[in-house]
Amino acid sequence: MVKEKLQINENGVENTVTINDDVETIKSKKRKAAFTWYIFLLPSFIGILLFMVYPIMESFRLSFFRSNGTMETFIGLQNFQRVLTSNTFWNTVWNTFFIGFFQIFITIPLGFIFASLINSIRRGQNFFKVIYFLPNVTSIVAAAMIFQFVLHPEMGVANYILDALGLPSSTWFSDPSTAKWGVILLAVWHWIGFVIIICLANLQAISPEMYEAAKIDGASGLQQWLFITIPNMSGTFAFLLITGWIGSLQRFNEVYVLGGPNGSPARSIQTMGAFIYERGFTGFEFGIASAATYIMFVIILIFTFINLRVSKMQL
Amino acid sequence: MKQGKSFWLMLLFMFVVAVLAVGCSSDDTAGDNGSGNDEGAVDGEWEGQTIKVQLIGDFDLEDSTDPITGETTKGLQVIKDEFESQHPGATVEFIIMPWEGYTEKTQAMITSGEADVYQMPGIADFAAQDVLEPLEPYIENDSEFDLDIFIDNQVNGWKALGSDSDELGIYGLPFLGDARFIAYDKQLFDEWGVEYLSEHPTMEEIEEKAKQMTGENPVSGEENYGIWFRGDWSSAFTLINIAEGQNGSWGNGFAWDEIEFNFDSPEMESGLEWLLDMKEYAPDGLVSDQGSEKWLTPDNDIAIMLNQGPGDTIMPAYAQGLGDRIAIAQEFKNDEGVGGMFAGSPITMAKDSENKDLAWEWMKFATSETVQQYIFEEANGMPAIKAAETWDSYAEVKNLMDPTMEAMSTPWTPRYPWASSQPRFILTSEVEAALTGERSATEAVEKAQKESQEWLKNRN
Repeated sequence: MVKEKLQINENGVENTVTINDDVETIKSKKRKAAFTWYIFLLPSFIGILLFMVYPIMESFRLSFFRSNGTMETFIGLQNFQRVLTSNTFWNTVWNTFFIGFFQIFITIPLGFIFASLINSIRRGQNFFKVIYFLPNVTSIVAAAMIFQFVLHPEMGVANYILDALGLPSSTWFSDPSTAKWGVILLAVWHWIGFVIIICLANLQAISPEMYEAAKIDGASGLQQWLFITIPNMSGTFAFLLITGWIGSLQRFNEVYVLGGPNGSPARSIQTMGAFIYERGFTGFEFGIASAATYIMFVIILIFTFINLRVSKMQL
Repeated sequence: MKQGKSFWLMLLFMFVVAVLAVGCSSDDTAGDNGSGNDEGAVDGEWEGQTIKVQLIGDFDLEDSTDPITGETTKGLQVIKDEFESQHPGATVEFIIMPWEGYTEKTQAMITSGEADVYQMPGIADFAAQDVLEPLEPYIENDSEFDLDIFIDNQVNGWKALGSDSDELGIYGLPFLGDARFIAYDKQLFDEWGVEYLSEHPTMEEIEEKAKQMTGENPVSGEENYGIWFRGDWSSAFTLINIAEGQNGSWGNGFAWDEIEFNFDSPEMESGLEWLLDMKEYAPDGLVSDQGSEKWLTPDNDIAIMLNQGPGDTIMPAYAQGLGDRIAIAQEFKNDEGVGGMFAGSPITMAKDSENKDLAWEWMKFATSETVQQYIFEEANGMPAIKAAETWDSYAEVKNLMDPTMEAMSTPWTPRYPWASSQPRFILTSEVEAALTGERSATEAVEKAQKESQEWLKNRN
């Protein structure tokens, strides 16, 4: 369809402008393009709604009920009260933070030192990158099973080395005091490759001119590392700290493989995630498990907020 | 023109999404309402009816190679063909799941009405949810069916309480048998010059012989351990059995509002003390399920294994050529000859099944000699029927099967109602705490009792 429109130009002369309806305006074109992309986003959006948003809302609802999956009774805040007054839950909070703290404060400095060493060598950088990154691509479940053999009280490599060095051996996962350290060792081994790669990426982005200037000013290698490298790594450290803590607070897979849902021995390696699994999926106490999940969410939220403030990281 | 193009592009995209969604969904073409019209369906009494049967464990639809024996085993197709030929027109479909996480998967399935017949070790939890069909009416009205076919106590063991009943009822038929017993290595006994365990050993006998066989083996010169038991996952059940052997019990009741625990009874306390003594004759790693890696190998270094099951013992022993070297004694029994955890799997009928008659037919078939023999010979499972004793395959492993059958007929029944709930984990953790020196036996059982009672109070 063709429309005619009368226009008056700057000289006062009347012009007739013909507008064809088949010609799209830029505005409508943009709207249609955006609409098309929304259609493409729809399947994943439906997936998120179904498998994330709905379970989150349903879990929130369940936290106010005594529920075994089919029968439900509204009990208000009793589930929250029971979780918050449960010694077992606070024991899992302690375990989660203990393992997380030592994993992070061993792995980040150690990974950074390894990354600095790898960055300083001329040949074989890629070889070491691959070697150190390999544990990180290994399934944590498989790695945990292997660590049971590595830390076997009688046949394990770890005790063999300790014996060879004349040091006392350990029963590792058979003792509550050493079981946590077994998990920390595994976690450090598994995460360090990631820390090295991230640190290396930052190290390689630091301007070489800064080092050259420092050399001219007479700075030693250690001084360069302390006063140029480390300050320039602060953003990466903050990133590793925050992602490391979030991952640590959600820890489940490896402790489930090593100690089952109740974190054997004697709940010494039971984390918050394992507590939720134990109550929800072995005991059918979905209300308790849901309440514990929300309490865990709040703990992670508060702790991440503190981490952001401490590390001065911008979101 | 462009607008038209976009429209067709979108339409094509939505068509692809729809095709994918349909393609990825389950095949429900047979339907549950009996109105299906399969090409393969044969005219007959059960024409067009389909039942879905959920099974847990190492079942395979097709023929496969047994990882233990290396022999070819027949798939479930054999059973399916037999059932369908006996029930013209009927179709049976299997849904097989692994043991890992079976409880939550079963819960999800039964909530969404996914199957008609379930293999269901956690029957007590599901019967209480009112999702299972009571089987007494079917049993009473079926003159062909007789509960006497099952090994003694198997039917009683699976009795459960419905949501509004006060008396235990039959919601499941025994399908897979299981038992707990004490296994031992006769070769180590011979090498140490120690007399074999009696059929019903006492705690004193076990302790004395375990002590004798701990140390350097006089023949092989290897380090031997007198005893081993799992100090973690199943330690609560090991302890309960020791209490039963002293005429104690875990407590009483079946419905949650009637249950009373006896976790701090003198029998439990002395049982835990005994386990602490036994730890001295065991390898270091028992609290983390370590130290028994050589069991059922020619290099075995452990004389006595507490709380063992037939699935991990009988066929693996024969596969290793150790069938005559391993022997079985009964777990601790009380004065009435009863003791040990009741285990195995019953099969149940979903209350919302739309083909209940056919489901009942399947349940009878699954507990018939045909299927039970298939389970024993092809699926490394234990039969739940007495007729097993007449099979040739049974005769081949008779020395290990006879005591197993006895163990299956004398467990503590009904099944511990708390076996999958929080009290089990509370007691397990306290046994672990005692075994690792965190607490004394007295403190551990008292804490287990206190926490379990509190949990029960909050639950009710």
